[in-house]
Amino acid sequence: MIFTIARKEFVDAWRDGRFRVGAVLVLVLLAVSGLLARQQVERARAEREAATALERRNWLEQGDKNSHSAGHYGLNVFKPTSPLALFDRGIEPFVGTTVFLEAHRQNQTAFLPAQDATSMRRFGELSAAVALQMLMPLLVVLLAFGALAGERERGTLRQVLSTGLSPRSLVFGKTLGIALTIAILLLPAGALLGGLLLQVPSADAPGLWARAGWLAACYATYLAIFVAGSVAVSASTRSARTALTILLSVWAVNCIVAPRLASDVVHHFLPTPKLAEFEAKLAQDVQKGLDGHDSRSKSLEDFTRRTLQEHGKSRVEELPFNFQGLVMLESERLAAQVFDHHFGRLWDRLQAQDGAVAWAGLAAPLLALRSASMAFAGTDFEHHRHFARAAENHRRDFVRVLNEDLMNNARPGDHNYVAGRALWEKLPEFRLEPIPPAGAWRAARTEVLVLGAWLLASLGFLAFSAGRIRVGGE
Amino acid sequence: MNTLSLELRLFLAERATWIVLVLFASTLAYGIANGARMGKAAHESAQLVEQDRQQWTKQVRDALERQAIDPRQVAARPTVALLPPAPLPALAIGQSDLLPAHESISLWRLEKPSEGSAGLENPARLLAGRFDLAFVLVWLLPLFLLAAAYDLCAGDREAGTLRMVLAQGVAPWRWLARRALARAAPMLLLAAAGTIVAGMLTEERAVGARVVLALGVVLAYGLFWVAVCALVNGFARSAASAATGVGAVWVGFVLVLPTLLNVIVESLHPSPPRAELVAESRAAAVEAEQRGNELLSTFYRDHPELAPASMQADITSRMLAQQDEVGRAMDPVRQRFTEAVLSQQRVVDRWRFASPAIAAHEALADLAGTGYWRHRAFQEQVAAFKDELHGYYSPKIHKQQPLTKADGPSFPRFEFVEEEPGRWMSRVATSLLGILALAALAAVAAGTRLSARKLAA
Repeated sequence: MIFTIARKEFVDAWRDGRFRVGAVLVLVLLAVSGLLARQQVERARAEREAATALERRNWLEQGDKNSHSAGHYGLNVFKPTSPLALFDRGIEPFVGTTVFLEAHRQNQTAFLPAQDATSMRRFGELSAAVALQMLMPLLVVLLAFGALAGERERGTLRQVLSTGLSPRSLVFGKTLGIALTIAILLLPAGALLGGLLLQVPSADAPGLWARAGWLAACYATYLAIFVAGSVAVSASTRSARTALTILLSVWAVNCIVAPRLASDVVHHFLPTPKLAEFEAKLAQDVQKGLDGHDSRSKSLEDFTRRTLQEHGKSRVEELPFNFQGLVMLESERLAAQVFDHHFGRLWDRLQAQDGAVAWAGLAAPLLALRSASMAFAGTDFEHHRHFARAAENHRRDFVRVLNEDLMNNARPGDHNYVAGRALWEKLPEFRLEPIPPAGAWRAARTEVLVLGAWLLASLGFLAFSAGRIRVGGE
Repeated sequence: MNTLSLELRLFLAERATWIVLVLFASTLAYGIANGARMGKAAHESAQLVEQDRQQWTKQVRDALERQAIDPRQVAARPTVALLPPAPLPALAIGQSDLLPAHESISLWRLEKPSEGSAGLENPARLLAGRFDLAFVLVWLLPLFLLAAAYDLCAGDREAGTLRMVLAQGVAPWRWLARRALARAAPMLLLAAAGTIVAGMLTEERAVGARVVLALGVVLAYGLFWVAVCALVNGFARSAASAATGVGAVWVGFVLVLPTLLNVIVESLHPSPPRAELVAESRAAAVEAEQRGNELLSTFYRDHPELAPASMQADITSRMLAQQDEVGRAMDPVRQRFTEAVLSQQRVVDRWRFASPAIAAHEALADLAGTGYWRHRAFQEQVAAFKDELHGYYSPKIHKQQPLTKADGPSFPRFEFVEEEPGRWMSRVATSLLGILALAALAAVAAGTRLSARKLAA
């Protein structure tokens, strides 16, 4: 019986002109945004490759110079774009794409694409993810608000139930019919996005399809929450108009108000440190050490004394290597501890904020979905942090190689020592190992949990309202 | 007039009306408080920068009173170019959480692309945007207006009472216009009051014209949505279909069109590749360096304090010369980059009338002083200031000419010159007229549709 009702609901949905128009519009928007995003991802990849090649050439052809000077010359590394950014660009427009690696300093990633874009960026961008997050639920509401409240208003609910049909079968049948309608609507969209993804050069990246699968599961759960919740509201309200008012208000709070409100409230309780304070503290700790006891110069004095003792010499000039090179290695090691501490704390704070917003998903499921979507698409802060950390490790390796060269090959006190291309070539190119899907899953587990809780709650609400269905109208 | 007050009384007699009004007033208050907080923070950080600048100027002047100074010593310290706090920060946060309001400029790094950030911020928060007054006015005001006025006559038509009303002989459009205004008036009054409160929360004095224009934009935008309600009611056969109709128009204008315009602009006029600009400027630096470096150990360039005294002047002159060469090589590249960014925004400016939400949003940010063009003016003036700094110090350094007491008053100092009021006024006035035109269009369409014959059909 449930299936007969589902089939009827399904046929009715497609007969509804408003739904057909809405469905076609959403599909067109999904297709347009997918195609344009694919073009953008492709352009970003080409730009990054060109810039990386040029920067490699700059590095190799910088000419002969002191190896520590090469550390000051430094190099830029550019952030690769995740192929799934064609589905959801996440925070990518709002994080730096370039990080400058140089001796002595860990730099922040610079050049936010949004800074070079127009003010329209603040309206957000129409990605396939946004269409599914915000427009699809509206279609669901359109299909579901009158499902039972409309029948009740027209008096057909009494007739249907008088045939001996159980209210539960009716409610679940209608839910199933609406869910099927949405699922069939999404098939061509899914096929298109899958096809676009296949054309991306890095489509064979490990875990890409696992991530795509998780994305599909999250969005399916989110839409299922809306289907069950909307039908339940329609079953519990007296008129279609009331059901629609409630559902549209819920949609507006979930999709329009919650994202801004949640991030504002979370930042009130977990504020981001001010840039000037962060930099001052960092500079201070580089000079004075993390514990604040031993200043850098004191630490380096101790280090000199220990080194001389180890080699049984009384002056640094007598050491069998360039002591300045060794000092630079040691000061990089000391500074690295400070950088790890401060950047670690800053990034932990940003992730704590994101985590709190994800938990706020218990009040508005969009918050959980959005953050899960970015995590599986590889465009969330966890992935950005992964890049920043990899770039910093690359910086440390590259500065170490240069300082070791200075230590081993420059005569003590010789400021005119130069190294050349042979050394520059020893430095490998920067490669970013992608986070395996398990890592993305770990980053998104709160969100998945929250979405699961919502699904259970909305199914529970559906069962509850099916059990208490009243036939009478106003 | 009697009908109007009757409609108003009827509307205010409903409990739901008061719930909606209280909700709207709270979102207004929250939005204003958020913007004001951000404005206060901007003001404080501007004060710190200004204090620091004054202190440094005083130090240099005091030192010059005692003796002449090597210009390299003064030029070595970065000076800060500051964009003064926005005139109406509580109205719209605009681009101020994204684009930097100050930039540190040093003679030795004139050719480095500025990496300015507006401070540390969680990127997810930049993505979500702020809950400021402009958000409440552009996104939420229409939703509240639609909630209050979506059912002007569709419900009557559904219940069959419409024919009775029409039989009384009133012109339907007049009756509906009064009903629509009565339902919109409380919301519009609150929005206007919010705008005036935001206008009062500023340190600036001469903001009267800005507040008046902001009021105009808000009311025109509100009227547009009232007209949309009337138009939809001309078609809708039931209250529910009127609600879906106005909802669809809102989604189209506020959600879909702006974001669609955004992706289309970015596809047709892509942002210029920043990564390549960075790499190209480094390539230019390598070339300049190789030509200039033949006689000089690069080590001394990075650590000039270790160079013998006789070499130091030589090092700095050469560094400046190299920097000039990089500048010459990079000028056309940078020009192309800036041109591409500007042409994107020009497209947006042209197409902002596609949706009154875009026009209203741009106008409010412009009025607040947190919009695109004020930040763009700041960036242009910073670029000009870099030239000024270079023109002042470079000849003195090359000639090894010390700074004396007489130079004190002529130090280059960055002062932001606000845009001519005529320019932002004309942008805002165009937006305002555009919104009014769209509102009039919707109203005329509604008027034609709302003839007694068509309504009764």
